[in-house]
Amino acid sequence: MLTISHLKKRFGQRTILEDIDLTVHQGDVITLIGPSGSGKTTFLRIITTLEQADGGHIQFAGIDKDFADLTKRDIQTIRRNVGFVFQNYNLFNNKTVLQNVTEGLIVAQKRSKAAAKAIAVSALAKVGLADFQDYYPSQLSGGQAQRVGIARAIALNPKVIFFDEPTSALDPELVTDVLQVMRQLAAEGMTMVVITHQMSFARDVSNQVIFMADGHVIEKGQPSQLFTTPKVSRTKQFLAEILATV
Amino acid sequence: MKELSLILQFVQQILPAIWITLLISVISIGIGTIFGFLLAWGKMSRLKSVRWLTSIYVSVIRATPAIIMIFIVYYGLPFLFKGWFHLNIEGWQRMYFVIIALTLLFSAPVAEIMRSAYLAVPKGQQEAGLLVGMTKFQVFYRILLPQAFVIALPNFANSVINLLKEGALTFTIGVVDMVAKAQMIVSNNSGGFAFETYGALALIYWVISLAIDKFVSSAEKAYRRKRQTIDGSREAV
Repeated sequence: MLTISHLKKRFGQRTILEDIDLTVHQGDVITLIGPSGSGKTTFLRIITTLEQADGGHIQFAGIDKDFADLTKRDIQTIRRNVGFVFQNYNLFNNKTVLQNVTEGLIVAQKRSKAAAKAIAVSALAKVGLADFQDYYPSQLSGGQAQRVGIARAIALNPKVIFFDEPTSALDPELVTDVLQVMRQLAAEGMTMVVITHQMSFARDVSNQVIFMADGHVIEKGQPSQLFTTPKVSRTKQFLAEILATV
Repeated sequence: MKELSLILQFVQQILPAIWITLLISVISIGIGTIFGFLLAWGKMSRLKSVRWLTSIYVSVIRATPAIIMIFIVYYGLPFLFKGWFHLNIEGWQRMYFVIIALTLLFSAPVAEIMRSAYLAVPKGQQEAGLLVGMTKFQVFYRILLPQAFVIALPNFANSVINLLKEGALTFTIGVVDMVAKAQMIVSNNSGGFAFETYGALALIYWVISLAIDKFVSSAEKAYRRKRQTIDGSREAV
């Protein structure tokens, strides 16, 4: 459904991503793990066209092109077929919770206000925020804001949702709620690509784990394999470090 | 007590000229705001040359005292028009020159205010907007602009009040505004009651400024109240 191949990214002299491949099938839950600065976020930002690649190919939503050849229309097509959940939520501060969710439905997908509202209400119910429709983002806790962010993404019915460290900005006691919503989404068959430091989530929910470091994919595999018997010493070292701190 | 009734009497005499002052201010503010918006855009342009040009324009205008600007426009513009377009604009109403000068003066601080307000809106929202499928313009118009507007409001009101006060120099090129009217009253009284006359003038300016201030702060409050219409007793979970 989504195939990225030979993706490259440089900032000046520095190589951020080198020859990255990714294949996502319908219903996949793929987690990206790795130390900060390994290029995970940049990777997602390039796939979702927030940043430009310096090389590589994308196959998605009827597009089969090198990144360099993407037209404005292709970019719009990609954006309209993905959902994105940001580390810092990035809710629209001048809109209510409900409007945050309906905005894309009405403005981009051209749905009627009533239809958009119905979709939004059910999306908000799914993340447990049905009662918060009229709140503004400044009145929400981090966990609530992030769940609105998730509702905003799922309401658009995207082919795949990207999560960029969705729980990293949250207080520890709020992480559970958000992860719970994500687990439920995965159980319902939503296709997800998730950057996370929550190893338990990666282990329990994903069907593929990709370990990245220094702009390379070091190792990928099923969680049962990668977490118990990593093949590469770099992976072993990272897992030992991160599991020791939990 | 006698002073007070005199002042009120002078207020009555000056007040008819308020329309000139208001007309000049409103037009200058209107055009100056549009101009300032374009300048703010220019200052954030991707093109270095555009950024450079707008920055120079803004800093030169900001460094020009109002009275000098009015004189430069009044004496310089006809000269330029004759040289460049072979047009004689000396017959223009003097008010036009004041409006041009004040528009230029207003555009520079407004450009700065708009630019900094725009920069103060967290830009992650722009990316979020793009990724729910909106175009760049839709994100700007629906998400970023309304937030920048609220941020800009208090400073914008300050600039409006400043403009109003700079507009008091209009009389220097012979437009009969409130200040000119007050001067006439003083000279008709052979220099008498100068304190009461100018006191009356000050009173009018004070009331207008106060009204602008009140209007803006109530607009701000209304905006904030909109966010507090929700039952506060329901605690965030």
